[in-house]
This record gives sequence, C-alpha cells and structure tokens, in this order.
Amino acid sequence: MSVFDTRSSGTGLLVRLGFSDPARTAAALEQAGLWCDGRPVDAPAGEVVAALADVADPDLALASLVRLLQRVPDPSGLREALSSSPPLRRRLAGVLGSSAALGDHLVAFPSDWEVLRGELDAVRPSVYGLQRTLLAAVEADGDVPPDGTGGARAGLTGVTAVAALRAAYRRCLLALAARDVTGAVTVEEVGGEMADLAGATLSAALAVARTTLSDGAAPCRLAVIGMGKAGGRELNYVSDVDVVFVAEPPEGAGPDGVDAALRTATRLAGETMRVCAAVAWPVDAGLRPEGGAGPLVRTLVSHEAYYRRWAHTWEFQALLKARPIAGDLALGQAYVDTVEPMVWRVGERKGFVEDVQAMRRRVEKTLPGDRASREVKLGPGGLRDVEFAVQLLQLVHGRTDTSVRSGTTLVALDQLAAGGYVGREDARHLSEAYRWLRTVEHRLQLHRLRRTHLLPAPDDEAALRRLARAVGYRGDVLRTFGRERAGYGHEVRRLHEKLFYRPLLTAVSRLPAEQARLAPEAARARLEALGFAEPAVALRHLEALTSGVSRRAVIQSTLLPAMLGWFADAADPDAGLRAFRSVSDALGGTPWYLRLLRDEGSAAERLAHLLASSRFVADLLARAPEAVRLLASDAELAPRPRATLESAFVSVARRRDDWEATVVAARGMRREELLRVACADLLGLLDHRQVGAALSDVAAAVLAAALETATRKVTAERRRPLPVRIAVLAMGRLGGREQGYGSDADVLFVHEADAGTPDAEAASIAHDVAHEVRRLLALPAPDPPLVVDADLRPEGKQGPLSRSLSSYAAYYDRWSSVWEAQALLRAAPLVGDAELAGRFLDAVAPVRWPQGGPPEASVREIRRIKARMEAERMPRGADPKLVLKMGPGGLADVEWVVQLLQLRHAHAVEALRTPSTLPALRAARDAGLLEPDDADVLETAWSLAARARDSLTLVRGKSAVSLPSSGRELDGVARSLGYPASSQGEFLDDYRRATRRARAVVERVFYG
Amino acid sequence: MDKQQEFVLRTLEERDIRFVRLWFTDVLGTLKSVAIAPAELEGAFAEGIGFDGSAIEGFARVHESDMLAKPDPATFQVLPWRESDGAPGTARMFCDITMPDGTPSWADPRHVLRRALGRAADAGFTFYTHPEIEFFLLKELPRDGTAPVPVDAAGYFDLTPHGVSQDFRRDAITMLERMGISVEFSHHEVAPGQQEIDLRYADALSTADNVLTTRHVIKEVALSQGVYATFMPKPFSTQPGSGMHTHLSLFEGDQNAFYDGGDPHHLSKVAQHFIAGLLQHAAEITAVTNQYVNSYKRLWSGGEAPPYVCWGSNNRSALVRVPMYKPKKSGSARIEVRSPDSATNPYLCFALLLAAGLKGIEEGYEMPPGAEDDVWTLSEGERRAMGMKPLPGSLAEAISVMETSELVAETLGEHVFDFFLRNKRAEWQAYRAEVTPFELGRYLPVL
Repeated sequence: MSVFDTRSSGTGLLVRLGFSDPARTAAALEQAGLWCDGRPVDAPAGEVVAALADVADPDLALASLVRLLQRVPDPSGLREALSSSPPLRRRLAGVLGSSAALGDHLVAFPSDWEVLRGELDAVRPSVYGLQRTLLAAVEADGDVPPDGTGGARAGLTGVTAVAALRAAYRRCLLALAARDVTGAVTVEEVGGEMADLAGATLSAALAVARTTLSDGAAPCRLAVIGMGKAGGRELNYVSDVDVVFVAEPPEGAGPDGVDAALRTATRLAGETMRVCAAVAWPVDAGLRPEGGAGPLVRTLVSHEAYYRRWAHTWEFQALLKARPIAGDLALGQAYVDTVEPMVWRVGERKGFVEDVQAMRRRVEKTLPGDRASREVKLGPGGLRDVEFAVQLLQLVHGRTDTSVRSGTTLVALDQLAAGGYVGREDARHLSEAYRWLRTVEHRLQLHRLRRTHLLPAPDDEAALRRLARAVGYRGDVLRTFGRERAGYGHEVRRLHEKLFYRPLLTAVSRLPAEQARLAPEAARARLEALGFAEPAVALRHLEALTSGVSRRAVIQSTLLPAMLGWFADAADPDAGLRAFRSVSDALGGTPWYLRLLRDEGSAAERLAHLLASSRFVADLLARAPEAVRLLASDAELAPRPRATLESAFVSVARRRDDWEATVVAARGMRREELLRVACADLLGLLDHRQVGAALSDVAAAVLAAALETATRKVTAERRRPLPVRIAVLAMGRLGGREQGYGSDADVLFVHEADAGTPDAEAASIAHDVAHEVRRLLALPAPDPPLVVDADLRPEGKQGPLSRSLSSYAAYYDRWSSVWEAQALLRAAPLVGDAELAGRFLDAVAPVRWPQGGPPEASVREIRRIKARMEAERMPRGADPKLVLKMGPGGLADVEWVVQLLQLRHAHAVEALRTPSTLPALRAARDAGLLEPDDADVLETAWSLAARARDSLTLVRGKSAVSLPSSGRELDGVARSLGYPASSQGEFLDDYRRATRRARAVVERVFYG
Repeated sequence: MDKQQEFVLRTLEERDIRFVRLWFTDVLGTLKSVAIAPAELEGAFAEGIGFDGSAIEGFARVHESDMLAKPDPATFQVLPWRESDGAPGTARMFCDITMPDGTPSWADPRHVLRRALGRAADAGFTFYTHPEIEFFLLKELPRDGTAPVPVDAAGYFDLTPHGVSQDFRRDAITMLERMGISVEFSHHEVAPGQQEIDLRYADALSTADNVLTTRHVIKEVALSQGVYATFMPKPFSTQPGSGMHTHLSLFEGDQNAFYDGGDPHHLSKVAQHFIAGLLQHAAEITAVTNQYVNSYKRLWSGGEAPPYVCWGSNNRSALVRVPMYKPKKSGSARIEVRSPDSATNPYLCFALLLAAGLKGIEEGYEMPPGAEDDVWTLSEGERRAMGMKPLPGSLAEAISVMETSELVAETLGEHVFDFFLRNKRAEWQAYRAEVTPFELGRYLPVL
C-alpha cells in the first residue's frame, strides 16, 4: 500500500515526503506529467514520486528530472520506463538526488539515461571492458591498448577527442554512481572500479596523445604506474590521480635510442596528463624520483639507481601501492618487480627508525583551526591518519611477513589483524570507521564532482541534511549524523595507541587470549622501530607494570599504550620506561598519583617526556616521587618569585631547633624547586635567561635559610645576640643570575661590627657564621649538593672567610690584582644585611670600574692570565673544542672579552655596569665598543654553550665539563636544544662552527 | 640483510675468499685497510667493525676514540692481484665510518662527500666526475734523497716497443677492469716515465672510491714489475708534475644540466653559475685540491698547470677549461677543473668542487669573460687588467686563505676543517724548518 492511499491533502503529503516547497513541487511534478489535482496521475506515477522523495535531495532530484524530460527526445518513453521498472526508478532518482553534476550530464546527454536500465547490478564492468569502452569513444582499437608509440592510436584528436572521452567517462561514472547510491556496491568496490576507470581513462588519453607526435618521433615503450589511491585500488570519485611514468626504447634500439625514446615518452606523458586533466581529474606525477624537480619520465634503470641511492623512506612508503595501470603493462610490471623488494628492505636502511618516528609524528600532527574539525581526510582522526598508520605497520612488519603487504588500506588492516599485529577488535572498529569516512567523502564529492574533503559548515543545515541522507540516514538525520561522526572520530583519534602500542601489551599479557597476539619477536621488532634500544628489557617492564588485577595495573594498562608513544618521542625511551616503573613502584597505589595520571590532561604525557629526556629529573623524582604532582598544571611549574621562596625557606629554618635537620629540610625544598625549574625548562615553558634567574633565586633562598640557621646556631652558642651584621655577596654566575643546575654558589662574606664591639671579636663571630653556612650546606644528604665557594675572596683560600667592610676596602686599595677587579665585576647583593651589601658595592665601585680604565700593564696581565689558563686549565684528554667553559670560543672566552670591555669602559658607559654577561655584551655593542657582527657571533656562541651546559646536566643527571663526541646523551642535548632526533652530528658541527667564529673574534678583540 | 649483502656473502663462498679487506681513508686520503675473515662479515654489515679512531689521522682524540667501520656492499670487489691460480682470494669493500651510537662520523671523508652530494640532491642534481690521473713510473724508490730515475725517456703518446710502461699500463688496466673500474683512456704523458689513466665518468662517490682503488692498483702492479709508481705532485724539478684534471657535470635526472644548445659554448645557465662559483672560491679550496708543500711546485711550474683563476673554452692554460663540444652529445657536456693533483683526497676535493659550484648556482654568480690566450704568455699587468687572480703560491698561503672560508668549513664540517688546517700548518712548519739542497748549493759557496 502506497502513501498516496491515505486521505492527506496533496500539499501535506509532499511536505511529509520531504519536499521543501509543496506548491513549487506540485507544479514541477505536474510539469513532469506525474501529478494532477493534488495527486499522482496514477499509481506508477505515485511510485516515481515516492522514489524521488526517498533520495538525498528530493528537490534537486525533481528539478533535474524535469530538465531531463524537457531534453529527452522521447519523454513518454522515459516516463513509461520509470513507471514500469523499479530498479531504473531507484537508480535515476538516486543519482539525480545525490549529484547535481551527473544531473547536468544527463541533461546534456539525455539519452544516457538508458545506461541505468537493465541488469546493471549483476554485471561489474571489467577493467578491460572499461578500457575498450573509453578507447572506442576516441575511435581507437580497444583490443590493442596503446603501450607507448605502439598499439591503438585515437581516431579523434584535440578538443573533439577530449569532449568524446569526457562524455564516455561520465557515462561510466553514471553507471557506477547509480549502483553506489542504491547500495548495490560496497565502498571498497567503488574505490576499485574508480581506479579501473582511471586506468582506462589514462589508456584512452595515451591513445589521444599519440596523435600529437610528429612522424619522426623515436619509438618508445611507456608504462603508467598508479601510485597512492589509484595504485591501491581505493580511488575517490574526484581526486588527483598519482602516477609515475617509466619508459624504455623498444627492444633492439641502439645506445642513442634511450635519449630519443625518453624525449618521445616525455612528450606522450605530458600530453596524456593534459588530456586527463581536461577530461576528468589532474594527474599528479609528483611522487616520481626527485619530485617536481626530476624529469617526468625515466628509464627503469634510472628509477632503480635513484631508489637505490637517494630515495627517502617516505618514498618507499609511496611505492608500497605501486601498480601498473596503463600503457605497456609488461614494462610496468618490471618496474614494480624492481622496486618492490626495495620497499620491503627499507627497514634495513640507515635512519629508518628516525624516519618512522618522523612519519609517526606526521600521523599525529593536527591541522589548526576550524577547518580541521570539518576535514574528513587530513583532520585529526581523518582518513589520512588511518592510511598512514597502516602503511607504517606494513613497512615494519612486512619485512619479515609477506602476508601483510596489500596495497589496499582495508585489506592491509585485515591482514595486520590476522597476523596479530593489530588487535582484532581495534581493527574491526577502525575498518568500520574508515568505511564510514570514505562513504561520507564519496557522497561529498559526488554532489558536484568536485575534489573536496570538507564537511559542510555547521550552520549549513541544508547541505548537512543532504549529505546525511546521501550517506543513508533517514528521520532526524542531523542528530544521527552528528552522533555517528563523533563516535567514529573517537574511534580513529586514539589511533596510534591502538595500532602501535596496545598490541605490545598483548605480547606480555598472561591472560589466555582468544584472539591472535603479537608474537614476542614482532613485539621486539616494533619496539625497536619505535626507538627502544633494549626491547627485551622494555617488554619486561611492560609486563611488570601491567600484570595483575590491581587498580594500578588496570589504570597503567590503559595509560601505557599512549605513554609508550611519548617515551618513544624522547631521546631515551628505555630510560623513560625504566624510570616510570621506578616512580610507579614507589608511589604504588597512592590514589592521587593514579588520579593525576588518569585525569590531569597532560600530566602523563609530561611525565613520560621528562623521564625519557632527563636523567636529572628521573633521579630527583626517584628520591622524591611525590613531586610528580608538580606536573598537574603550568601554574605549578612556574618558578616561584624570589621573595616567596626566601620566606618559605627561612620560615622552615625558623621552625626547628635541630640545626642539621633545619638545613636538610631547606635542601629538600630546594630539590623540589630544582625539579620545578628543570621540568619547566624541558617542557619549553622557560627561556634560558629565566632558567638562570630561577636557579639563582633558588640558590639565594637556600643560602638565606642556611644563613638564618647558622646565625641562630652561633647566637645560641654565645647565648646573646650577635654584635655584628653580616651580608653575603653573590659572585660569578650567581652574581650574574646565570646559575646552572650543577653550579657552585660563588660568594663573598662581609661583616661589620656593631659600635663598641672589637674588630677581632666581630671577625671571629662572622667567621663562625660563614663557616657554619658552608658546613650545613655540605652535610651529606640525598640531594644534589650546593657547594658554597668563597675562593674569590682576598688572598683566596689563605684569607679569612669573612672580612669587615674596611678590611676589604684596605685590601683592594693596597694589594688588589687585576683579576680580583675582574671578579668583582659580577658582585651583587645576595642575602643578609642589604644595607651593608650596598655599602660594600659602593666601596668596590672604583676597583671594578676604575676611572679611565685599568693601566695598560693590567690589561697585559689579564691577557697573560687568560693565555696561561688556556694552556693549563684544559681538562686532560678532552677535545679542547668541546670543552664548554675553557674551550676556544667557549663560555670563558666570551666572558673575558666582555669583562675586559667592562673594566676599560664601565667608568664611562653606565650600561656596562651589570654583573650579567649578555646585557653587558649588548651594552658594549650599543656603545660602539664591539662591532655588531662580532657581538652577534659572541652572543650566539655564549648562548649555545650556556644552553648546552645546562642541557647536558639535565640529560646526564650531573654536570660535565665538555660535550660528549657521540651517543645518546649528545642526542638528548641536541634534542633539548631543538634539533631533530639523531642529529647529534649536525649539532656538534654547529657548536664547533659557533665557537670557531667566536674564537676568531676573541683573538682579534681580546688579544688583538 | 639486503640483496647486495647476500650477494657479497654468496660470492665469498663461491670464490673461496679467505680475507675481506675493509678500506677507508683518513682525512688526507691515505688508504687504510683492516682485514677480516668472511665469517665476521655478517656482523660487520649489521654492526660494523670497531677500531681505534685516534690511530687514524684526523679521526678522533685519544678519549672516546671508538669508531665503527661499516662496509658498503655496493663497493665489493675481488682483488685480482691476490688471485693466483686456485689459491684462496682476497676481496675489498669501502666502509662508511660511524660513531658508536650509529650516527655517521663527521671525520669520515666519505661522509663529507655524501653530505655534499645530499645537498646537491636536495637541489635536484646528481654530480658526475671523470678524473685523469697522472703519475710517474720510477726505476726504484730512492730512499737517500737523491733524484729519482724514470723508467723510460719517452714522451707524450709515445709508443715504446717492449717498454716497461706499456706492459705496465696493460696490466694495470686489466686489473682495474677486473675490479669493475672502466678506464676511458690511457697513454704516455709528456715527461719521461709519466703515465696517464683516465677513469670513465661516474657519480662522484664511485669515482672517489675508484681513484683510491686505482692508486692502490697502480702501486701494486708497479711493485709486481719491479718498478715504483708515485703520485707525488712534482717529483722532478725540470719535468711537468702529475695533475688530476677532473671533468665535472651535473645531471637533473637523465638530463645534463650543463647543456644548453642555444649558448655559444653550449653552456647552460647552471653551468655558467657553476663555473663562476668554482672561480670565485678557487683560492679557498686550493689547500685541499693541492694539499702538500710539493703541490705548489707543480702548480707554479708553468705549462699545463693553471695557477691563474680564469676559464677558457678549450684553453689548457685556464683553471677551468670548457672542452670542445661534440655535436649530438648533450649528455657529455662538462667542464674540466685543472688544479687538483694526483695526491689530493678525492672525497674532500670533489665535495669542495661541488660546493663551490653549487654556491655559484645558489647565489647566481655571473661568469666572467673567458680567457682566449695562453695565460702564461700574458704579462702580470695584463692578467691584473683582465681580473685574473693567482691561486695561493704556497701551502702556507693556501692555508691562510682557507682559514677564512665559511664555504670550506661548512662543506668539510667543522671537525675535518679544524683537523685539516692543524695538520697542514704542522706540515708547513716542518718544511720551513728544513734546510734544502737548494739553499746549501746556492748559499754555502758564496756566503
């Protein structure tokens, strides 16, 4: 019983059927001869109206049908056929309702509707059939397809040929689209047939291209290799067709024949591309060797030579789908046979692991902005993600397992699941999501036959509704479509976890599994490809972390697949996993820890990155695992201001009476602050200047706590308030706020007796306090030590630890040598009596910024000291060029240049009066004391060396005087300075270059 | 294991090879060899063979000196002179040097060339070279400093019946061909005892390997015939020296990028910029193309040695010569650089020639007008007027020009750059300290 048997009015009926404007619809239906007086003219007409209503866009379908009936020579014949044949009705309505472009084609070629009659569903056109049809369209012999300069040659030429081929192509497309929209073919079959049609089109275009050759053109064989989706037989309705051209002279041609054959073949290939672009789609030959820069056509040998020598890993990835699709198929097959073994050996190539990692990052890379969320192809969780990930696994496992080498994504996914390389459930879900996304993409493109992967904007309801209906939804289509899309998107989004990492857990699971499991060898191969150096050990850690049924094991099993990816992205994945296990063992089932990892967004990712990048962080965390909570947010990781730190440290010191325990507590706090700065540094939240300042503040806070404690202790011992004021001055890097992770704290102690206190007594008290400060901070404790170095004081180790202000003044007045003046350049107040520190600095101003600069003899002395240090202070056995501080062009070189300029000019140039290196360097440049180019060179070298020094400490866990010349630590340093993985050679080269240039400036400016 | 590696292992079995020599060169281009048994080769392919880098000129300091030599199976050859009847044979492969962490060693001259070729490939070019290696055959190696004696007194293209040099060239070429090295041309050179062997053009890495092999083969064959072969740039004060004129071409895919039929010299824009680059940077790279104290005695000896920076069409006195174009052979368009001598390190030499040329292309340097005349016959003033600058006159000068060259530093990498300069400064200082027979002969009688 039809809907028309109800008593509804015609108008209501049309609205219920889904037409948007009943009055116009009724008029159009009347024009089509299907409607009269608010009802269908007869029962079969009713069926036609119902069929028109049941398509993606009923209004569009009807409008196109009306236009078609006006153009078709025998409208009543068409009407009759529609009435009598339900399949034709469904197909024609379906095509017209899904595709405006095919509607236009039918209007232009009205008799083409006949294509939709008959047993279309039972007969799939063969690749040969399609080829014969399209060759016939350009009047070429379909039995001998062109193979270069041989085989069929088109009878039509130029625009006539293009027009005929386009019409024939559209006719084939029409038949396919009709079966597609009526559900007679699967998504895979559509992709396959489109690829066959592309091959046939190329073949016919080649036959046309032959007509453009001059008579004298040298003979050649030409093969067209389908790459990408055309090669994988998963082509879209409209997309670029990726190809590579291979040519050879015919058998028996002389040695000169190659050049001539290549010329002809290049001409043919270019012409073929032009014809195809005019007929259907652009042909993209960009995947050829050397890409756009390389010649369009090469010989087999030339291809082979290129792939042997120059090709990148991603090029082999592209070759995975190579398949001869037109031209000389024997030559095409020879090409595939040549390159195929190379594809599967790519895993043995140098740099494969790095390339795989780079490719994997590309998989995970997301497009920015609003378009990303509407992209079905390139967006996060889009088609490209699935395809890339599948190819990657094929490259890793296809080396040893020939059963996973299909060029078609869905087939390959099935193969990978069957081999246990991917979880069966995950594969099934992904397959389903992929099919859905491809269906959406097909329907999007079918509408106007345009190459698009962009979903309609959320406010374009009409377009969204049409798309949803085209995909097959009915009813509340917008909601259903939205829900499905979210579901499938979710499925694909955590793709790398599912495809790459989750199967690794099955390899170590003890549970009896129904499904195929990743074999241990395959698990090891994959871990190795992901960058784990000791896969067997990693598997044991995985097993320990995930075995059992505890809440912890369950949460970790869920987290680990993602965390493994993050470990793999960092310099030392093995160390990361090992450290994670030790943190996890220490914190065990602590509820906040598991909650933090599970719920706090990026905390788990940050933890993984830090543990696999920095031994320093891993060691600190191993001693104080509870500090993991710092990772919860950026706010926790921001360095705390000096004042906050100092008051926190000092108040801890005041709370206790056990002096040692007090300082141990303060040092514990320091450890946490170091961790905070290190994490922020490694996560890129701080620049290098901020790191130096933050570490200097932490050192100051600890010293403040130690000074407070020492003062209280000495006071307690003397049982009365101390009649002396004490200040601590920062020197060296600490003075310049350039403190590093492993730096000593360079200081000077200065004191002043209260009125009426004998100098000797004051000196003795100050010495006790200073000594106590050093002792307390040097007590053995499980934290990185802070060595308080007071050796820059007058008379060095022989001199008293603290001096009175007047004693300093007298000393500098009488004895001071120029290196002491130089050291004082970096003096700055640190802790203790600020007023006293200020007076100290006033007192030494004439020493460090001498009026008129130091005498020439002093300048000579500085140069001599420097030259002697270069000879004597170089660590034994090291490559001097890699010694960060004392090496040529290293930190000391630059600092001495700057300090000499300060000594000479600070009396006149006020901006030079700063304890920090870079501000002083820039001031010297601005004052015209250094050429801008020289200043740049010095700044570059100093910054690089300073960053390298800090980074080396973070990576190794302890400081080092020189860069290693190779290895993982160097890799880690290079990465933390922003180099790609495994670029330690490039980094060292850059480092040597920067320091070589700096050294040249030093020779000229400092010694010159 | 890839197919080439499998091929190597199979060949070892089939031909009963008992030793495999792994070859590489130090920074100066001296051949180094380590022999391993075939059983160790599989491991060598996978992990490399460890050695002490500090023992090799320019590789590493004493600390952290472990390095790995990884054989390149594409260079596998059986050594013909060790292949007597039925006796077990010896084969060789060139190695790439890596650090213990598997990354390439930046001290390895092969890596220097590979990087330069990689940069060319990024620009879409492959680099081909064709070296003409000159050398002397001496009756023996005089060890007491007396003048050497050449094996014959013949001259250019002379055919000497039953001469040593003829047998020698025949044997040497046979061996080279048996090692897969095609010899284009061989003849007696101008000076007594002087020979020339031209290798067929091939990609620069293969030719550099081949130059090393050729030098070694020639020395071996000479030994077997009781004579001594030398690649010393200038063994005789009064005879021409031994150069290694090198023909260069760039290809873009299958097309010769140097060819342009429309240009009077058939030189494309690419070729013109390339030549301009070679000229512009010629002085900077001389310390490498002519790396010994002795090299400068050849360079400044007149005749076909080219110490003035200029180019000329088919002009054998110019630094860069554009050979006469052979009709219908666009593939063979090329240019010839005439400064390198036979004692250069071909890896570094080719890398720098390429880098200088590429720099010219990148920066679009304009080619100066060509030199028509024999440059030697021009007066100093004429040369100055025509803008022809001289190449460095001595190793010391060459070093000081190279020191300031960012192009050379970048191409060689800082490690090789630094080592090379240190080594050459030391050589110059040692030379300067020497009191020569020249001084004794000239000054002792009169002063």
